[in-house]
Amino acid sequence: MTTSWNETQQIEAVLMGTAKPGDALLFEAKLLLDNELADKVMWQQKTYAVIKQYSRRQLRAEIEAVHQQLFTQPEHSSFSQKIRQLFSKR
Amino acid sequence: MAHLYKKTLVMHSISNTDRLAQRQELFINLYKSAFPAVAKYVGRLGGSFDEAKDVFQDALVVYYEKTVGQPSTLHNDTAYLVGIAKNLWLKRYRQSAQNLPLTDLDMTADEQEESPSNNRLMHFLNKAGHKCMELLKSFYYDQLPLHEIAEEFGYSGVRSATVQKYKCLEKVRETIKEKALAYDDFME
Repeated sequence: MTTSWNETQQIEAVLMGTAKPGDALLFEAKLLLDNELADKVMWQQKTYAVIKQYSRRQLRAEIEAVHQQLFTQPEHSSFSQKIRQLFSKR
Repeated sequence: MAHLYKKTLVMHSISNTDRLAQRQELFINLYKSAFPAVAKYVGRLGGSFDEAKDVFQDALVVYYEKTVGQPSTLHNDTAYLVGIAKNLWLKRYRQSAQNLPLTDLDMTADEQEESPSNNRLMHFLNKAGHKCMELLKSFYYDQLPLHEIAEEFGYSGVRSATVQKYKCLEKVRETIKEKALAYDDFME
């Protein structure tokens, strides 16, 4: 019997191109007969995009924290002044 | 700089807090080594501080994604970062340079995803599904090995972490579907 996480794993293998040729073929056949499965494949694909987007946002927040640190803390003032000077002439 | 990053990746069983601190140190070093050249370039061509900051931060994201999992692919991290940031600035702020080739990246796909419904979804996932999102991020984005993920998230081993990863994927998939049917402008 296929448990649900097993099915999710199969969908992943097909989407990432890591499924064995035979398994991929079998999966293609199942897709034709099972609309619900096709629906899951579509949403799972979107899920990977959402995970990437979520992760990028987290990383951007970490980078922004570093930026704030460099441009507000006195220990980095020689660095931040040097940068600001490049934009102050106009 | 590259060796510093490599070191963080070969060390085993380091906590998330350590990892965060190491990334922070890496970003500070990269800021100091590469941002002055980017700022100088953008400033000389009439761009602003905020524009330089914007493209530099995107370049850091690209750098991270490129080096995670295979940290030895770059010979010169600083030159790579400066190159990406300059290209991004030209592409984004200079109309005349719109057909410049952008190797390695195209962040525009993500920029479109700043719609209100998408922001609501992110907010929801961050609140209601935080642990799952962090687990999925660790696996797919930060590419941490499963044994480290198991340790970090308190699972008994690799197998249990694997099952959990798929369960999370499923849960998030169902949430996205549900939310998408509720918001009509979602992720076109």
